[in-house]
Amino acid sequence: MRLPITGVGAVASIGRDADEVFSSLCAGRSGLGPMRGFDHQHYNGRQLFEVDNRPEGADRTLRATGFLLDAVGQAAADAGLGEDLSGIPVLVGTGLRELRSAELWWRDGADFSADQLHFGTALRERFGTSDSLTISNACSASLYTLALGADMLTMGEADTVIVAGVDAITESMHGLADRVQPNPPESLRTLDVNRRGTILGDGAAAVVLRREDLQWPGGRLWGRLRAVGMTCDAKHPTAPDQEQVAEAMRQAHRHAGTSPGDMDLVLLHGTGTPLNDLVEISAYGEVFGEDAGVPLVTGIKPMTGHTSGSAGLLSLVVTLQAMATGKVPPLVNLDEPIEEAAGVRLVRGQEAKHEASLAQVHGFGFGGINAVAIVEGA
Amino acid sequence: MITVTGVGVAMPGVESAAELAAASGPQGTVDPKEILGKKGLRYKDRATQLGLCAALRTVTDAGLHADGELTVEGTRVAVLVSTNLGNVDTVCRVAKTISEEGTYGVSPMDTPNASSNITASEIAIKYGFKGPNLTLCNGPTSGLDAVRWATALLRADRADQVVVVGVEPDNEIVRSLVGGPVADGAAGLVLERAESARERGSKVRAVIGAHTRSSDLATGVGELAETETEKPAAFFAPGTAADELIPGPPRHDLAAAWGELSGALGIVQCAAAVGALESGTDGPVWLVAGSDSDDGVATLVLHHPSRADVELVAH
Repeated sequence: MRLPITGVGAVASIGRDADEVFSSLCAGRSGLGPMRGFDHQHYNGRQLFEVDNRPEGADRTLRATGFLLDAVGQAAADAGLGEDLSGIPVLVGTGLRELRSAELWWRDGADFSADQLHFGTALRERFGTSDSLTISNACSASLYTLALGADMLTMGEADTVIVAGVDAITESMHGLADRVQPNPPESLRTLDVNRRGTILGDGAAAVVLRREDLQWPGGRLWGRLRAVGMTCDAKHPTAPDQEQVAEAMRQAHRHAGTSPGDMDLVLLHGTGTPLNDLVEISAYGEVFGEDAGVPLVTGIKPMTGHTSGSAGLLSLVVTLQAMATGKVPPLVNLDEPIEEAAGVRLVRGQEAKHEASLAQVHGFGFGGINAVAIVEGA
Repeated sequence: MITVTGVGVAMPGVESAAELAAASGPQGTVDPKEILGKKGLRYKDRATQLGLCAALRTVTDAGLHADGELTVEGTRVAVLVSTNLGNVDTVCRVAKTISEEGTYGVSPMDTPNASSNITASEIAIKYGFKGPNLTLCNGPTSGLDAVRWATALLRADRADQVVVVGVEPDNEIVRSLVGGPVADGAAGLVLERAESARERGSKVRAVIGAHTRSSDLATGVGELAETETEKPAAFFAPGTAADELIPGPPRHDLAAAWGELSGALGIVQCAAAVGALESGTDGPVWLVAGSDSDDGVATLVLHHPSRADVELVAH
């Protein structure tokens, strides 16, 4: 499978489109800032990676929907599809849906209705879609929808599919993490010995995927999707388990017909929580073995925050940009890597110049749901 | 050919597909303690408890699990849960508690329930299902969409069996959101390829026919009729909007009988259709979810299990 990716879009705290997000990442610019949407007096952790779009101060409903429509619109325009997506399936992966709006509805009486919990209603209104899907698959959601979209194309059920991911931070998710973090992290430090946990972020990402046997349709060729592996730990509702994390990587390589040693670049899930990073890098070591030092390894969450359901696809968009430009964003805040990462070529300090043609992208989530994508450059 | 090889029902007063097909509405409530035992239920939300009840009956019915052991390869079993309202109560309650008491007022035990995929992950944990694990929260069509995506996982060879569960809990918060009582129940199906069912010696309960997903009812039913030329023996649809488009066969409106079914609707429809096929309905059953005022309309056809035998002979 070598499915052309012909358009990308992204929204995050560090940029309102894919170019701006990527240039911020390469410049080492973080989106972490004082919490804007929630009341500071209730929290220990008062910093988040929010998209700054609440000029009026108070929080408001349907921000996730807005991020999603922006990212899908960007990707569609980039691929030359325009605004009419009536014949094109749009598959959205999310961790938190419009649950922030539901919170504001229940707590403050904000206007909100059940048909706004999922994104199909807004997608139909803006783009005329009739076949959309909202999958709520925690922090691997958008790579899961990437797999479903790829399967649709390989089975000939569509010529073009748009895959997206989105999340806006909910007060319940931030609050429940805050409850058990009396001393909250001051920054997100993927793989650092002094990492103290993750910090949530707003974000969205979208890509346009095409069938590989069709005439070149226009738009830009960003790269090609080779495979997505999907597994479930079936062990614990929140803690990750190495066995099936590693199996998701192996499955992706089996489907792609690649070997770990073929990878030039790896984008970690890298949430910055003590156990998640340890499990991820241990699984990486298990799968890559003596090739663990072959690819450059980096991640974006120290600068974007943990953007939940959109995180995997946001990493994939950044991966395509890195392959297109030869620039790989660094893992900022990484002063002292954990010993399990010894021998891994972590990108530290500043962006690396690196020509990559094959890359692996990780997304792991609550519920032990794991997804790993393999992409090649244009 | 994709077949249904297991059905499980945990609706108020109803424990099987046959009972569901015959029932006229809820009687009492589902008590998960009676079905699952008391152990381990304390911190699970209502949706997860109901989902586990339906999953237990479904995987038992399909013979995926017997005497406490999996009878199939766990890495090849996918789980697909459809729910729109599942964890809305936890999320709204926690947000309100924070505004009243700060985060010290919330319980860390709510953390897993703040993630909408909790029911699918608990089903995977209970049975060791390590294949793709998905939670659809896709509005009124979500249940039929789940069946469609389950067949896609099988056709793409992502799994050998898919456990599909639709569940919606009732509580003050979701009642207020949807403007009326919610069904407070769940139903489940096991889908697998006919060859796999044959190898396992499973009884085929129905055969999955064509599906559509379209912008409006007339288009969806029209497209379905192009593929499915045999006249339906019955159909399931919310309201009366499809009556003119599918003239003749009796219509069943489950939401009118059971309350808001939301993301569970399509799967409860499938379970009731299997019950009907087992009790005399001999032609195809058409299922419809969503309306012209929603973001899409989904349709699906379930065929009598005898179609699997016909297929075998033809091969």
